[in-house]
Amino acid sequence: MAVVRYGSFGRFVLWILLLAGAFLCVFPFFWMAVGTTLNPNDVVRGIIVPGHEFRLNLEKAVKNENLLLYFFNSMKIALLTVLFGVTVNAFAAFGFEKYRSKVREGLFAVLLLALIIPQIALVLPQFRLIAYFRLLDTHSAIILPGVMSVFIIFFMRQNFRMFPNEIMEAARVDGASESRIFVGIVFPSMKASFASAAIYVFIMQWNSYLWPLMTILGNTKKTLPIAISSLMRVYTIEYGALMIVVCLSVLPVLVLFLAMQRQFVAGLLGSVK
Amino acid sequence: MKTTGAFYRYLNRIGWLYILPALALYCAFMAYPILSSLFLVTRKWKGFNNTFVGLGNFVRMSHDGVFWQALGHNFFFMAIQIPLMILLALILAVILNQGIKRYRGAFRVIYFLPCVTSLVAYSVLFRMLLQTNGLLNNLFLNLHVLSQPIPWLSDSFWAKMTIIMGLTWRWTGYNMVFFLVGLQNIDTDIFEAAEVDGASQARKFFAITLPLLVPVILFSAVTSTSGTMQLFDEPNILTWEGGPSNATMTAALYIYRQAFILNSDFGYASALSYVIVVITGVLAYVQIKLLGRRD
Repeated sequence: MAVVRYGSFGRFVLWILLLAGAFLCVFPFFWMAVGTTLNPNDVVRGIIVPGHEFRLNLEKAVKNENLLLYFFNSMKIALLTVLFGVTVNAFAAFGFEKYRSKVREGLFAVLLLALIIPQIALVLPQFRLIAYFRLLDTHSAIILPGVMSVFIIFFMRQNFRMFPNEIMEAARVDGASESRIFVGIVFPSMKASFASAAIYVFIMQWNSYLWPLMTILGNTKKTLPIAISSLMRVYTIEYGALMIVVCLSVLPVLVLFLAMQRQFVAGLLGSVK
Repeated sequence: MKTTGAFYRYLNRIGWLYILPALALYCAFMAYPILSSLFLVTRKWKGFNNTFVGLGNFVRMSHDGVFWQALGHNFFFMAIQIPLMILLALILAVILNQGIKRYRGAFRVIYFLPCVTSLVAYSVLFRMLLQTNGLLNNLFLNLHVLSQPIPWLSDSFWAKMTIIMGLTWRWTGYNMVFFLVGLQNIDTDIFEAAEVDGASQARKFFAITLPLLVPVILFSAVTSTSGTMQLFDEPNILTWEGGPSNATMTAALYIYRQAFILNSDFGYASALSYVIVVITGVLAYVQIKLLGRRD
């Protein structure tokens, strides 16, 4: 790449721009962490020096606001969705890509149509379906519609395209069954693609708000985003405790991102390759 | 070989078997809802009973000032926030790609950070930051930039700016990473050839870089447009239920409120959601036609 030569003043301006942007990106995280140690008034006033009320806030969050239960609910829902979602969608993607037929190609085109339908149009009839099966206020209501994802099927199919057919042929000659080819050969050699899909599904489900807001009615089934929004609904908001809940809702995704940047970004940007 | 036919049929069965679970879930949670919404839009709910009203919901919609106002807000956010964000992301990507290459990886990570927050989490954070007596106003007052606090959340103009600020914070880095990948995929030979021909920096950017980035910019414009059309979490939490007095009400939020808070009328809400479906489809089509023509 041709290196652009800027004068030292030009470089200085660019550095300032970059650093200012970086500061804006990081500051809310810093503020959020500091907020967990402050009393409610100081959080809002914008004190950015750590205080001494972390324990008190944690106690409030855990005892009064049921933080651990909601964290557990969110984790359970997200992990189950990942487990079922990646399995179902990967099998489907593999079926579409490596066992081609005209009928299935047609079906795939129909599936893709679903990508253009906005969520708000789908959730109303989905809600009636869930209500009809008496699944309202259960975790199944959140997991079931999140399992099949046309985007993940599309993403995995793109990835499976790179898997050589010759290896499948060779395995067949060696007497491997079709299921063994997928589970024993394809899966181990494409772990990165599976990881990207898993991360994508996890984040989608962990962060989802509109659908749980509709289907979760009681207190015990809430997920973290719903808990956060209901903490904002009360008259005197416990900002310190709220900060702890917010922190805990951001933490898993943050850790996932820092630990697996490659797969993380590949999953989110997967559609442009 | 004789077995080829039988083996083909076997593989065909395996193919069906593999896609079956996904297909079943698709039928249950995509196909059926889409079909049943055709029934929903023709009906009106009163309590638990519903009656057939034909196209009545669409007639009612045409008189619904709040809905059209909400839809207008979606377009307002779209028209201001998306170009602003794309421009910022483009500038940052170009700086990181050509101007300052040191610590590029670290900056990429930092700029992507806002993306790890859920929409709910960052909406809550921004709502706290932007209280009238909150951090941002206090900072500006102490620095004497302002003589009076800005009513970020309680004034209809500033509330809209608040949404735009929030969206820009959350999504600029995400788009920047896209653009950076796009920039790094551009073949360096073209630039060297242009340099030999004596092209200026600006000319190289507008004649080579930008046209080659069009597909990436197009993709982010299309996804951002469809995202802004469906804006829900931010107006519901950051500016609280589309407030102040519907100043940040969006179409999706209004539909939700029609179905769950105000009237529990799923028929009318479904009819409203059809408008979003059509607009999203048309906008995506227009953008692809307009920008895609060049290559």
